[in-house]
Amino acid sequence: MGLDVDHAARAHFVYRCPSERSAAADETCQSPFLPKVTGQEDYIYVWTLGVKGVGDGNDSMVTVDANPKSPFYGKMINRAPVPGRHEAHHAGFTDDRRYLWAGGLDTSQIFVFDVGSNPAKPKLVKTISTFVKDTGGMVGPHTFYALPGRMLISALSNAQDGSGRTGLAEYSNDGKFIRAIWMPKEAPYGYDVRVNVNLNRMLTSSFSGKKNYMRPFGELVKDGEAMKNFGGSVVVWDFHARKPLQVLSVPGAPLELRWALLPNHNYAFTATALTGQLVLIHQQEDGTWATKNIAEIGANLPVDISIAPDDSKVYVNSFGDGTLRVYDVTNPFEGKLIEQVKLGEMANMVSSSWDGKRLYATNSLLSQWDKPGDYWLKAYAWEDGKLVAKFTTDFNPVGRAHIMNLNSKAFGPKAARSAPGDRRPSTNVASR
Amino acid sequence: MWRRADLAVALLAGLAVAPGIAGGHGAPRLEDEFVKGVFSPGFVPPAAGSYELPPVKRVAGFVLRDSRGRSVSTGRITAGKVAVVSFIYTACPERLGCPLASQGLQHLQDKLKEEGLDHDVALLSISFDPGRDSPARLAKYARIYGADPALWRFMTAPSTRVLGDVLESYGQDRAPVYDERGRFTGRYSHVLKVFLVDRAGDIRNVYSAGFLVPDLVVNDIKTVLSDHARD
Repeated sequence: MGLDVDHAARAHFVYRCPSERSAAADETCQSPFLPKVTGQEDYIYVWTLGVKGVGDGNDSMVTVDANPKSPFYGKMINRAPVPGRHEAHHAGFTDDRRYLWAGGLDTSQIFVFDVGSNPAKPKLVKTISTFVKDTGGMVGPHTFYALPGRMLISALSNAQDGSGRTGLAEYSNDGKFIRAIWMPKEAPYGYDVRVNVNLNRMLTSSFSGKKNYMRPFGELVKDGEAMKNFGGSVVVWDFHARKPLQVLSVPGAPLELRWALLPNHNYAFTATALTGQLVLIHQQEDGTWATKNIAEIGANLPVDISIAPDDSKVYVNSFGDGTLRVYDVTNPFEGKLIEQVKLGEMANMVSSSWDGKRLYATNSLLSQWDKPGDYWLKAYAWEDGKLVAKFTTDFNPVGRAHIMNLNSKAFGPKAARSAPGDRRPSTNVASR
Repeated sequence: MWRRADLAVALLAGLAVAPGIAGGHGAPRLEDEFVKGVFSPGFVPPAAGSYELPPVKRVAGFVLRDSRGRSVSTGRITAGKVAVVSFIYTACPERLGCPLASQGLQHLQDKLKEEGLDHDVALLSISFDPGRDSPARLAKYARIYGADPALWRFMTAPSTRVLGDVLESYGQDRAPVYDERGRFTGRYSHVLKVFLVDRAGDIRNVYSAGFLVPDLVVNDIKTVLSDHARD
C-alpha cells in the first residue's frame, strides 16, 4: 500500500481509513498503493475531449479549483492541451502521486503529466506512442492503476480485428514497458481493473472493442450483430501471480469495479451498462467468488459508479437519463434506492470524496456516443441528509469533461510555503 | 523470532520495539485494523516459481557509508546476491512508515535464516536523512531492530546530492516537510517502498506496506534465485 510516511493521515487512507482528512477521483476507488489526498481537495483534473472547432480542438487536462475557500472555486484555472484528439477517457496517478497518466482510446497514445511540481498546473512531460507495439497489439488503454513502481493499464481492444479481445499491460513509472497479459480465452473482453491487497485478488470487467466504441451510438444499437459483441464477465485473478482464477458470468457489460473499503468486507460492486443491474461480487466461505444482482437500476445505461468510504452507499450515474442514483448497500446483498438527482440530459463519471461529504460528476461518455448538449462538471455535497448542488463548471468552451482525478496543494513542493493568508486545505493534510 | 501477531501487537502498542525513534502519533482504531491486515493478510502467497517477476528497471551501484563509517560500494555488498533495499530515516515519526518497513525487514531476516537463504540475500536500508543519520545513529537503529550485520546493512549517503542520485535510480520519492512558517520540520514525506533487486541490478518487484508480507517476499526471492539458476 502506498504509504506516505510523513503523515499518518496519508497513511491511513492508504489503509482506507475513513477519515475527515481525505479526498477523491473516486478517491474511494483509487489504488490501495496510492497515497490519498487528505482533507478538502484543491483541484480536480478533468481529462477533457477536444472538439473540432472549439478553441484549439485538442484534448486537454483541465484543472478546476475545488476549494470553497478559493476565489476561483468552481472555475477552470488551467488547461494543458496535448496535440490532437485521441478519445480522451481515463487517467490515473502513479504510486507517489507525482505523475498523472492519461490515455486516448482511439489513438492508444498515453500522456504523462507532471502534477507534483505544481499541482495547479499539470505539465505534459512524456508521451508514450508505442502502446500497441509494446503490448503485441492491444488497443485502447483504459484504466491507469498505480502499483508500486509501475502502472497497470487495462485495454479495451486489439489492433488485429478491433474486437473486444484485449488484456492488461504494465509499464514502469519511467514509462518503460514491462509486460502484457492477455485476458483468458473464455473471457477475452476487458475494461476496468482493481486490486484488493489484503486478499491478493484482482478483478477485471468487460466492455467492447474499438469497432463498437468508436461507432456512432445510434447506428450501433440498430446493429443486432454488433450489439452481441459486448463482454459479459468479471474475472477474478491472483493479483501477485497475475493469473486468472475464476470467470464470473455478469451479462450486459459490467463496467467500473469498486472494492468495499473496510476490513473484512470481502466484496466489490459493478454495474452492467446494457442490462441495468447493480451487481455484488462477493467472496464465499470456501474462498471462491460469486455474484448477485442487488438492485435493478433500469434501462438507462448505467455507467460510472462510486462507493462511500464506509461502504454504506454506492452512487450510480446513468448516461441514458442523466440521473445520479444513490443506493444504500449497508446490506451488500440488497441495494436500496435512497436518493435520485437529475443531473442533466446525460451523465457519466461520478466520484465521491474520501470523507464521503462531496460528490463530483461529469457527463461525456464517448465522442461517438454523446448526445448533443451542454458539457459540465457538477459538484454536490451532503447537507442534512440531502445532496445539495454546490457549483457547475461549464466545459463547453474547452470540450467535453470525462474522468476526474482530485489533488491537493499538499502534494506540491514545499506546500506549506504558501503566501500569507493562503490557508492550506487542512492542517491535517500531508505536506510535501 | 517475531511472529506476525507479535509484530501486530507491537505496532498497535505504538512501536514498543523502537522506543525513542518512533514517535507517538494518535491513530484511529481503524488504522490499527489495517496494520493487522499487513501482518495477517487474508491470502496465502502463490508458490515460488509459479509466476513471473519481469524486470521493472535497472538500478545503479553507489558508494555510501555504512554504520561503521566506512565507504562501501553497494555493488560489493550485493555482488552475487539478491538484494532487498529499503529507504528509511531514523527520526521517522510515523509508525506506518519507516518503522513498519524496518519491522518487515526484521521479520524477513528471520525468515531468510529459517529457510537457509541468508547467504543468497543482502538486506540494505538506506537513510533518507544523511544530515542527521550518522553511522553511529544508524548502528543504534540497527541494534534496535536486531539487524545481523552479515545480512542486513544500514547505509547513509555521503551527501544529499549522492542521495538524490540513489533515489532517482530507484524511483523513490522524498520531500522535506515544512511547517506553516516555511521552516523544515525535520521530517520527510515519502511513499514506503521496498525494492527486490536481482544479481544483474534489475528491480524485480516493489513492495509497499500492504504487500511487504515476509512470506511473499521470500517466495519472490526464491523465484528470482531460480531464474538465476537457469541463466
